[in-house]
Amino acid sequence: MSKCLPQLKIINRLHVLRAEHRITQEQLAKEVGVTRATIVAIERGGYNPSLELAFRLARYFQTDIKSIFSVEEENK
Amino acid sequence: MNRLDSILLKVFLYGLPGVVALAVFLYPYRLGIDAAGHVKLLYNFAGFIFACWMMLSIHLSVRLMVSGPFRDKALAKLTFIRERDEREAALTGKAAKTTFLTSLAILIFLFCLSSFQVSIYRVPPEKAVNGQTGVVSLDLGFNLLERSRQAKPDDAIQKKDIFSYTGLPVSSTTVILVLILWQIISYNYSMRRLTKCMEGNGPR
Repeated sequence: MSKCLPQLKIINRLHVLRAEHRITQEQLAKEVGVTRATIVAIERGGYNPSLELAFRLARYFQTDIKSIFSVEEENK
Repeated sequence: MNRLDSILLKVFLYGLPGVVALAVFLYPYRLGIDAAGHVKLLYNFAGFIFACWMMLSIHLSVRLMVSGPFRDKALAKLTFIRERDEREAALTGKAAKTTFLTSLAILIFLFCLSSFQVSIYRVPPEKAVNGQTGVVSLDLGFNLLERSRQAKPDDAIQKKDIFSYTGLPVSSTTVILVLILWQIISYNYSMRRLTKCMEGNGPR
């Protein structure tokens, strides 16, 4: 891995969207075809989903990816 | 995994306690030359069952090597591999990498231990070289095939061993068994650690 590139931190609003739509992690996991642990990991920022899963989440919330995931540059 | 493989695997697994039970049950009845008729019959029956189970285990181990779907299904259950979604698949990859690299490190270590030979001994004063009776002998032994160790010509010298190391003191079966167990334990430990890290501590 290149050491020159700045570390990108991907932040998400998944828990906000989930609260707005009043659905549980379990329900969301079932809708997008993953386990609840994966939703937990995404919400806590421990796991960055694949592009496919990101699109599935966006499709479920009827929005675009950018309104769920955004990038913040980290200076390490 | 086809239906036949599935049935044979179940027969193998459910038959394992049966084979062990049969061996334990027959242990007190040692087969002597003058063994009673019913004991001989029981031994022959147990022998037949064991032979069938052995044939089955060889067939299944060959199937594990040649059949991808069978391997994926049977060994995934045995090693508790779970890939229900992309996150678990990614974690499995990382845990498998850790397991592979640690296994390789262990194999390299075992290779070193099995090939190096060290011997420290004392020779009688009349055999002393430059007045020195203490000898340190280092050797690198590598045999492609297992064979019984033969006495070296200098073993004929009357010497007093102080320390002698001639390769791994454990059998190859033990090494294989330890490696199998290591693979399963290492994979599951790595998987648990990665899952905890991902769910609990946030980004790494």
